[in-house]
Amino acid sequence: MLNYLINRIKGAVIVLFLVSIITFMVLMILPGDPAQLILGTEATPDMVKDLHVSMGLDKPYYMQYGSWLIDFLRFDMGESYLYGESVSLLILNCLPVTLSIALFSMIIATLVAFIFGVLSSVKKDSFIDYFSRSIMQLGTAIPSFWIGMVFVVFFGLRLKWFPISGYVPASENFIKFLKSITLPSVVLAIGEFGLLLRIVRSSMQESISQDYMEMARVKGLSLISIYFKYALRGAMVAPLTIIGMQFAKLVGGTTVVETVFALPGLGRLVLTAVEHRDIVLLQGLVMFITTFVILITLVVDILIMFINPRIKTFERGE
Amino acid sequence: MKKFLILLMAFIMLLSLSACSNGEQPTNPSEISNEKTELTMGYQTDPEGLDPQRTAAASTFVVTNNIYDTLIGVTQGWEITPRLAEKWDISEDGMEVTFKIREDVFFQNGRQLKSSDVEFSFNRLKDEESPKARDYANIKKIEIIDDYNIKFVTEKLDVELLKNFAYPWAAIVPEEEVANLKTKPVGTGAFELKEWVPQQHIILERNENYYGIKPKLETVKLELIPDATSLMAGLQVGDLDIIPLTGDQVKTLKDNTDYSILAQPMNAVQIMSLNTDNKILSNEKVRQAMSMAINKDEIIEASSFGYGDKIGSHLPTTSPDYYDTNDVMEYNPERAKELLKEAGYENGFDIKLTLPKNYQIHVDAGQVIADQLSKIGIRVNIELVEWGTWVSEVYSGKKFEMTVVGHTGRLDSYAFLSRYKSDSEDYISLKTGEVDELLNKALQELDGDKRKDIYKQIQIVLASKLPAIYVQTPYTMLGMQNNVKGMNIFPIDIYDFKDVYFE
Amino acid sequence: MSKKKNSVYSNYSLLIGIILVLFILFICILSFIHIPYAPNEMNISERFIKPNSDREHLLGTDNFGRDILSRIMVGSRTVLLVSISSVIIGALIGITLGAISAQFKKVVGSSIMRIIDGLMAFPGILLALMLVTVVGRGIAGSIIAISIFMIPTFSRLVNSMMLDTESLLYIKAAKSYGSTNMQIFIKHFVPAMLPKLVTQFSSAVGTAVMIETSLSFLGLGIQPPNSSWGLMLSEARQFFLQYSYLAVAPGIAIIITVLGFNLIGDGLNDFLLKRRS
Repeated sequence: MLNYLINRIKGAVIVLFLVSIITFMVLMILPGDPAQLILGTEATPDMVKDLHVSMGLDKPYYMQYGSWLIDFLRFDMGESYLYGESVSLLILNCLPVTLSIALFSMIIATLVAFIFGVLSSVKKDSFIDYFSRSIMQLGTAIPSFWIGMVFVVFFGLRLKWFPISGYVPASENFIKFLKSITLPSVVLAIGEFGLLLRIVRSSMQESISQDYMEMARVKGLSLISIYFKYALRGAMVAPLTIIGMQFAKLVGGTTVVETVFALPGLGRLVLTAVEHRDIVLLQGLVMFITTFVILITLVVDILIMFINPRIKTFERGE
Repeated sequence: MKKFLILLMAFIMLLSLSACSNGEQPTNPSEISNEKTELTMGYQTDPEGLDPQRTAAASTFVVTNNIYDTLIGVTQGWEITPRLAEKWDISEDGMEVTFKIREDVFFQNGRQLKSSDVEFSFNRLKDEESPKARDYANIKKIEIIDDYNIKFVTEKLDVELLKNFAYPWAAIVPEEEVANLKTKPVGTGAFELKEWVPQQHIILERNENYYGIKPKLETVKLELIPDATSLMAGLQVGDLDIIPLTGDQVKTLKDNTDYSILAQPMNAVQIMSLNTDNKILSNEKVRQAMSMAINKDEIIEASSFGYGDKIGSHLPTTSPDYYDTNDVMEYNPERAKELLKEAGYENGFDIKLTLPKNYQIHVDAGQVIADQLSKIGIRVNIELVEWGTWVSEVYSGKKFEMTVVGHTGRLDSYAFLSRYKSDSEDYISLKTGEVDELLNKALQELDGDKRKDIYKQIQIVLASKLPAIYVQTPYTMLGMQNNVKGMNIFPIDIYDFKDVYFE
Repeated sequence: MSKKKNSVYSNYSLLIGIILVLFILFICILSFIHIPYAPNEMNISERFIKPNSDREHLLGTDNFGRDILSRIMVGSRTVLLVSISSVIIGALIGITLGAISAQFKKVVGSSIMRIIDGLMAFPGILLALMLVTVVGRGIAGSIIAISIFMIPTFSRLVNSMMLDTESLLYIKAAKSYGSTNMQIFIKHFVPAMLPKLVTQFSSAVGTAVMIETSLSFLGLGIQPPNSSWGLMLSEARQFFLQYSYLAVAPGIAIIITVLGFNLIGDGLNDFLLKRRS
C-alpha cells in the first residue's frame, strides 16, 4: 500500500512537471504577447520592447520557465499581469464557485444515476427501467448551454424561481447560495448523469450475472442483501472510475456553463488568462487544476482497491 | 448505500448548520428608506487592473474615471470643462499651457493634492511602462510654479494639446500609492473603491470628502456578466439597473415604458482595414471595386439592427470635423464588377478576412461583407481569432490581408487620422503619401476653421484612395430601468456615475 | 427474467435509434441532391422570418436572412464527418494505449497511464486552444482535437477492464496453456470488453457532437460562414430572448443525432450482453 502510494505520488510529480512545461509551451505557441496586449493598439515597437524588459519577457524561454519553477517550488505562484493580484488569491476567489457547482452537480447526478440505475437493473424491463433508460438517453443528448439558456428563460425569467446569473457565497446567504448554484448544477448534472446511469446499470447487470451471485442465490440470501451487499459492491468499479473522471473533468471544464450563468469560476478565469496571455495566472491555474484532478484520480483508485480486492493484489504484487 | 446516505445527510446538516451561523443578516428597519441609493450595472469585460496609466483597456477607464480625476473634463457635447483645474491659459504661440488647480482637493488617503502630484502623474504617463507615452512625448518640460499652479511646455506646436489632458488615463495619482494602484486605486474622484473581486463585481462607494457636488448614489455595484442575453434577462428581472445593449435588444425594449434607452452614435469608426502590402490589395481599383460592392446600409442593419451611421472616411459622424464623404464611393455592384475587370481580376480572387471574435459587431459585419464581396466574384475566407492574436498578428505583426475592427475614443481628429501618414508604421497607412503634408499642416494650424478644412481634404482623399473601407459609426446603447436618471454618454470611453440618481 | 420481454426494449431502442440515425443520414444524403437555398447566401431584408410563417422558409431564416433548413442540411455533413471520424481515430488510439499499458504494466504501462492522467487533468479549453492553434481551425482541426479528447476515456476503460478480467480463472487457464498475449487479447479480452466498448463507442459519437458544439461555441470549431449545428446554436445564442426559434432547429438536430447513436449503442449492448450469457 505504502509503496503503491509512493509510486503514485512519484507519478503525480512527473505529470505536474510535464503539464507545467506543456502549459508554458502552449503560450509560446499561441500568437499573442502580454506586453502588446497591455499597451494596446497605440503602441510603438520600442514601447513593446521596453515593457518586455520590465516584465522580464525579454529573457530566453528556459530562463522565464526556470524562474517561475523556482518560485513555484517556494509556493509562490506570482502575480497576475492582468489583475496585478496574487495568483493564489485569484484562484481562491474562484475555487468555491466551481467546486460548489461541480460537487452539487455530481451529487445530483450520482443520486439520480444510482437510484435509477439500481432500480432499472433490479426491476429489469419494468416501466421504471424503460423510463430511466429514456431519460438517460435524453440527458446525454441535450447540449448543455442550450438547456442552460432554456433554464435561464424559463426558471429565471418566466417563473423567477432562481437568479439568472451571478454567484452568492455560502457565507453570505446560504439560501441564496443554493439558489445561485442550482440551475448551473442541474444543467451540468443533466450532461453527466446519463453516462453514469448507463455504467451503473450495465455493471449491475454484469455483476448480477456473475457466478458468485448465483451462489448467493443458491445459498438463499435475501434479495436485498444480494443486490446491495454483493451486486452493487461488485458493480462499483466502473461507476466510481467514471464519477472520479467526471468530477475531475468538471473542475477544469465548467467554462461553458459558467459563461451562460455568469458565474465567476475557474473555467472562466482560465479563459480570461488565455485571452490576455497572462502566463503567470495560467500556469498557476493549470497547476492547481492538475493537482486537484490527480488527487481525485488517486483517491478514486484507492477506493477501488478497497472495493475490488483483485486490483489490490495486483498492485501489491508489483 | 446506507452509509453513503448517512454521510450525505450529515453533509447536508453540516451545510445547513453553517448556514445558520453565517446566513442570517440583521435587517435594520431604520436603514430602509424610500430613496434608492444603490445602483447596479451589468458590464461585460473585467478591467485590466485599476491603474489608468498602465493599461490601454477601455474596461479599466470606464471604472477608473469615477475614482480618479483629470485636470479637465469633456462634456457630452465635446466641450472642455474644468475638473481638478479651475482654469487654464494657453500661451499665444500655443506652445505652453498653465493650469490653476483647485485648493480643496484631497486624495482618498487624506492627503491634499498639489502641483507636485500633477507633475509626478504626467511623468509617470510618459515613462516606458505607459501605453499612452507616445501621446505625451511632445511635452518637454513640466514646471511647478507654486503648489497650485503648473505649466506644461511642448517641443513642437500641437494645437490639439489641451484635449490630451481630458482623457481618462491623464488621471492624477498620488505618488505614495502607485505600487498598488492596480488593485488598490487611490484617487480624488467622486467614488472610491470598496471591493473588487475579479470575475465577479466591483463595488464603488461615495467619496464623502469629494470636492465637488456629492453624488446622490451611495453605492455603485458593477456586476460582471459577459453574456448579452444574461444581461438582458437581468434587466428584465430587475436585478440590474443599467446594462449595455445590442441593437436587437434596443428594438425589443424600445416600446416598453418600464425601461429607458440611451442610444447615441459613438465617437468611433468601424472599418475594414486592407493590407496594401498585399499585391492584389495594393491595386487602387481593386479597393475601389470592393468599396462599391459593399452595401453599408445592409451591414448596419445586419450587425446593429440599424443603429449605426454609415461613413465614407475615417472620422466618426459625431466628430466636429466630420465631413460626409458617403457619395465618393457609393454602393454600385455593376461599376464594381467593371472596376475589377479593369484591374485584371475578372474572375475574382481569394482573400482572407481576419475577424476579432470577441467583438460580435465586427464578426457580424465581416460575414456580411464576405457575402457581399462574393457577389462580384471575390472569395473571402473568414478566420476568427482571439483579441490577443489579433493585436500581435494583425496589428503589430501586420500579417493579414483584410480585417474588420473599430478605432475609438479620441477627441482630436489628428489622433484618429495620423496613422495614415506614409511613415507611421501603423498596420494601415496610405503608403503613397497623399495625406502626409495635410496632416502636418493640420497640427500647426491655429485657426480652427482652416484646420477643419484641412481635415475635410484628408477625409476626401481617404474616401477615394481607400487604405481601408469605411463602414459605420456604431452606437453606444444603454438600457436602464426607467427610474434611473442622469446617465450620459461621452465622446471618450468613460461612464460617469456622479450625476446618476433614482427618481 | 423473461427473454422475450427483455428483447422488447432493446429491439425498440435499436429500432428507434436506427430510424433517427437513418433520418439524419437521409438529410445528409439529400443535401447533396437538393437544397432549397444556398446555405451561405444572405438576404438581410428577409431575416428573422419565423418558421413556416411564409411558405418559402420551412424552418425560417436566421439573423442574416439565411435559410435555416438549408443550413441544417449542409450542417449534417459537417457534424457526421467530424464526430464519426474523430471517434474512430480516438477509439483506435485509446484502445491500443489502454491495452498496451495493461499488458506491460511496469514501465511502459504506468508511463502511458500517467501521460493519459496528465491529458485528462489538463483543462479542456486549453488543450483545445493549443491543438486548434497547431493544426488550424475548421473541419480537420476539429477532428484532430476531438479525437484527442476521446483517447483518455477509451484507454482508461480498456485498461481497467483488462485489469478486472485478467485475474479471472479462464484467462489464467489460457495463459497456462501457453497462449500468446495477442491470442489471449483477441480470444478472451476482446469479447469480454466488447459490450462496454460498443456502448462507449456509441455514446462517444454523441459526446463528439457535443464537443463540436462546445468548440464552435468558443469559436474554435468550424469557421463561419460555413455551417455546423454547433455554430448555428452559438449564433442563435445572442438572439435567444427575442428569437428563440433560431435555437430550436439546430438543438433538435443535435438531440436527434446524439439520441440516435446512443439508442443504437444501448440496444446493441443489451443484445450483445444477452448473447454472451
